[in-house]
Amino acid sequence: MTEQEFSQFYKNNINKVFRFIYLRVDKIETAEDITSQTFLKVWQRQIPVIASDEALSAGRQEFPLISNPTAFVYQVARNQIIDFYRQKNKKPLSLEELKEKGIDLPQKSFISQIELSFEMENLKKALQRIKPAYSEVIIWHYVDDLSTKEIAQILDKNENNVRVLLHRALEILKKELNKKV
Amino acid sequence: MTEKELLEQLNELKSIKPNQNWASWLLSNILTKRHEQAIVRPRVKLVSFSFLHQYQKALVSAAFVVLFISTFAFAQTTLPGNLLYPVKTLTQNAKIALASKDYKPVVRMQITKARLEDMAKITDQEQAVALMSQNIQKDLQTIPQELKNISKKQVALQMSKQVQDEAKDLKNLSNNSLNKNINNLNQNIDEFQDKVFAFIFSTEEEINQCPTSLQDKLANLQKYFTENIQIVAQWSPDEITKIRTFLADISNDIKVGNCLEAMEKIESINQILQIHSLDIKVETSTPEN
Repeated sequence: MTEQEFSQFYKNNINKVFRFIYLRVDKIETAEDITSQTFLKVWQRQIPVIASDEALSAGRQEFPLISNPTAFVYQVARNQIIDFYRQKNKKPLSLEELKEKGIDLPQKSFISQIELSFEMENLKKALQRIKPAYSEVIIWHYVDDLSTKEIAQILDKNENNVRVLLHRALEILKKELNKKV
Repeated sequence: MTEKELLEQLNELKSIKPNQNWASWLLSNILTKRHEQAIVRPRVKLVSFSFLHQYQKALVSAAFVVLFISTFAFAQTTLPGNLLYPVKTLTQNAKIALASKDYKPVVRMQITKARLEDMAKITDQEQAVALMSQNIQKDLQTIPQELKNISKKQVALQMSKQVQDEAKDLKNLSNNSLNKNINNLNQNIDEFQDKVFAFIFSTEEEINQCPTSLQDKLANLQKYFTENIQIVAQWSPDEITKIRTFLADISNDIKVGNCLEAMEKIESINQILQIHSLDIKVETSTPEN
């Protein structure tokens, strides 16, 4: 994958992936860290995100072609979130450890802030309270506009299963929100 | 909330975006990583054991436990002169210390025998043999005393017979060793076997004579209480209750044929009488065992 190809892929997906992660974690800084790790892993893996002839002739055929790179980046993000919650009970990564993992810290501080309305904040919290399997499909389908086919590829399930899961997830989320109201 | 309202709210979440400056910085930062990674990244990923890190504490503890157990297990096969032999001795002493009071003489006998076997295998360490011989002789003196300390006669008899059985080969083992003072050790073994045999003989006799002896002791107790009823009346109610309970138990033991247990309870009553400094009277009025 050339820099140009990756840049294009990054620009197409950064908002969606960041949003998916941000809705699953508490802090914006955590979401930024996990997003960084996710895209870095995709880049380091040198996946032929766009399976061009150029990429193949450049000798990268040792990696399997990813038919749906968007699904792949979500899989990586999902694993990173799981890792984050697994590590959360242990200790936070130090700045040095982040550097060792290949994540450079910004030279200047970015004052990242996301203003959410009361309803949106409630919705975010409700998404975090329900089972991750439910919140994931809701975010992918209704927020990030992924098709049931793409979700099926991420989860390695068939489309019917995804539709059933989506229906159930929406019901659960509705109940969760009504419970709090 | 209706489904429509929920979908509208979910749609609003699309407005969430990362800081654009951060997003641009991240892209440029990631792109600089490619060259570095391309140089160092191996084509074939080696098997990773990094997952073991999360079990680090448990693995270190388990490793210590395994090391500890294997050291102890290996030490059991060592002979005097080996670095780990003190571990074996320590384990043997712990076994004796942890054994119940009744079973202690048998455990000590088994370990003494094992030590004699070890001694017989040594071919070049006379000093170690001499030291072992001394310790074995000490054990041989302790065992008869431990047998006498067993309170129940039938248990004492059973344990003595087990000790006698274990002690059969002691002399053969002793004769196979390099011990210079072999005669001394053999003499001690003979004395030990005699003591155990004598103890078995006397205990058996005591058990066989129990019914007669019990009847005599009971009669004497009854006579004593009848003659000294005024003195006994001054005792505390607790003590009187205790003696009544003992007498009731003795009566039950006699009915079911537990002569020795009845005898033990008579001894307990005698101890109470001794507390009241009446033991001299009781001793004079009760027959000897």
